[in-house]
Amino acid sequence: MSEESKDQGSIDPMELWKQWSDASVKMWTSVLDGDKEKTFMDPYGMYRPWLKTVEEAQEQLKSNPLRLMDPNVALKEWFEAITAAWAKAAGAGGDPLGLTTQWLEMMEEARAKLFQGGTIPADPFTFFKQWYDASSETWSEIVGEMIGAEKFVEIASQFMDSYTSFYQIARRQNEEYFRNLQLPTRSDIARVAGLVVEMEEKVDRIEDAFEDFEDGYSKVATLEAVESLDGRLESVEKKLDALPSSLEKMKAEAVGGLESRLSSVESKLEAFPAALEKIEAVEALSRRIGQVESKLDQVLDALVKFTTNHALDTQKAAEASGQTNTTATIVPRKTAKKNAKRPEVSSSESE
Amino acid sequence: MSKDNATSFDMEDTLKKYRAGVQIMVEGAKAQTGQTPKEVIWAKNKAKLYRYEPTVEKRYPVPILLIYALINRPYVLDLMPGNSLVEYLVGKGFDVYMLDWGIPGDEDKNLAFENYVLDYIPRAVKKVLRAANAEELTMLGFCMGGTMTAMYAALFPGKPLRNLILLTAPTDFTTENTGLYGLWTSEKYFNPDHMAEAFGNIPGDLVDTGNRMVKPVTNYVGSYVTMWDRIMQDKSMDTWLAMNKWVNDGIPFAGAAFRQWIREFYQQNKLVKGEIKLRGRRVDLSNITCAVLNIAGKKDHICTVPQAEATMNAISSADKEFFVLDAGHVGLLTGSDAKRTLWPKISTWLELHSR
Repeated sequence: MSEESKDQGSIDPMELWKQWSDASVKMWTSVLDGDKEKTFMDPYGMYRPWLKTVEEAQEQLKSNPLRLMDPNVALKEWFEAITAAWAKAAGAGGDPLGLTTQWLEMMEEARAKLFQGGTIPADPFTFFKQWYDASSETWSEIVGEMIGAEKFVEIASQFMDSYTSFYQIARRQNEEYFRNLQLPTRSDIARVAGLVVEMEEKVDRIEDAFEDFEDGYSKVATLEAVESLDGRLESVEKKLDALPSSLEKMKAEAVGGLESRLSSVESKLEAFPAALEKIEAVEALSRRIGQVESKLDQVLDALVKFTTNHALDTQKAAEASGQTNTTATIVPRKTAKKNAKRPEVSSSESE
Repeated sequence: MSKDNATSFDMEDTLKKYRAGVQIMVEGAKAQTGQTPKEVIWAKNKAKLYRYEPTVEKRYPVPILLIYALINRPYVLDLMPGNSLVEYLVGKGFDVYMLDWGIPGDEDKNLAFENYVLDYIPRAVKKVLRAANAEELTMLGFCMGGTMTAMYAALFPGKPLRNLILLTAPTDFTTENTGLYGLWTSEKYFNPDHMAEAFGNIPGDLVDTGNRMVKPVTNYVGSYVTMWDRIMQDKSMDTWLAMNKWVNDGIPFAGAAFRQWIREFYQQNKLVKGEIKLRGRRVDLSNITCAVLNIAGKKDHICTVPQAEATMNAISSADKEFFVLDAGHVGLLTGSDAKRTLWPKISTWLELHSR
């Protein structure tokens, strides 16, 4: 039971319908009386003028019954009575969709088309068919315009909202009423049916799983296949039986071999630090040699500079005294750093 | 025969015709429909999956699954012998199946498109493939059934769906394209929640009224003028009776699905925008890559041509065809014009795509 329904007291459904009926009658009375202060939307407003005018038309026709014996006259009378009454209704207003005016136009058009041929068929169906053929196109256009108008949709929407609200209340009250009578209601049955549907869904899932298994993996197990599997299983068992002793044997051999390999690895690892130390010593020596080399380079540069200057001085002195001497020129020679320990001396004869 | 006797005979005949007409109007049309032999190969809740018994040797390995709308009854696809799309396809050597949603009860008011597209259709597809011993199938969806089929195709692209036929299936619900429905279902005037809360499932009569009001004069008056005309002229009434029975045989619309249909499709136009989500899975029509035959009717006021045509731009299929017939929503399916145009079109297209 919903919480909403618990909050509301149960009412006899007949009583509820009576209330609805009373409210409706009040609404229609209010509308028909032309109550300007009406608060209800009148969804059938478009039909009221028509009903009223039909009644008036009937009265007019009754006033001269003898004329009705001739179908032509009767139909003309009918058309005139109807159109006059509708024109009156249209003049009185109360036609929010402008239907009356359009209806009148259509009636006039249909009348013109019908009486164009001169004779009116006596058979009611033939007459109706002719009338439909004469008016259906216009009629369709009028109705199409009407139902495609926002005003119409607005009225229909209000009516539908009102109706669904009432329907919901009535349904809830009915449920409550029958519940109080200890009778199962429609929603009770629906609840049970819902459980059945859920159960079916579970069965479907199991069926799906079976089918997937069938489709995806399995084949029918034949006697041959089973016997073959039995033989293979026996063979596997035999192999398994032999496995422990093999493992023992393997264990003894393998452990011995592993021990000797481990010792070898250990001795290699022990030699590793000593080798590393040697490498460090070599690197230190290398660094020192580098330092010595750079110092020797500096000495060599200084020596070259000194020798060059001394040779120039000697040449200048010789030129000044006018003597030609064989001079010894010290030529610096670029060599690889490690061989550049002393300058080489070469002889040249002065001109 | 004297003049008096002739008159009395005519009168008797006329009265007899009037009696027949009045009887139809009072009691409703009675006709044998859905007569192509079939068996139920699967059922779930109210839904049933039919397999139509072959009448000729099976010529195509790809079976066809017909998916109808949630409203109205699917037997319009198998209206009566000689006027049945199902019978025609079976006769051409196709293996034909149809998913009939059945009539939802009060307990089904919470059934939504999630249930139909993610639970029912995929299971039906599996059952069809098993029954046909096939790896691929063709799906043919009509009206809302076409929209649902397109959603399924978008969510389950690739195998086993090989071909998709959409018959007057709307995917674009832009107000300009939906005609009177667009106005009637606009958010300003229509709240689907009110109706679903009040009724649970939306009564079939109410749904029918909405559909018939699109062409009220034709549907409410013209149809009966035709009936009287046929009776008076001693013409065969079989087709008229079968169609009238179908027209008045509306079924309730499950409440939750109705809310979605109005809110998410008509009011928010989510499908063509790729915004519909079913259990969190986005329905993206561009995922559709299979071969597609999309058919619409020029005079269709329920699914207008632009509503169906929009699918062509939304899907990614390289093999796709849009075919427009000079017919209305239902007239497209049945009658002499359908035999001449729609049925051969479908059959020829399927022959090329089902080998």
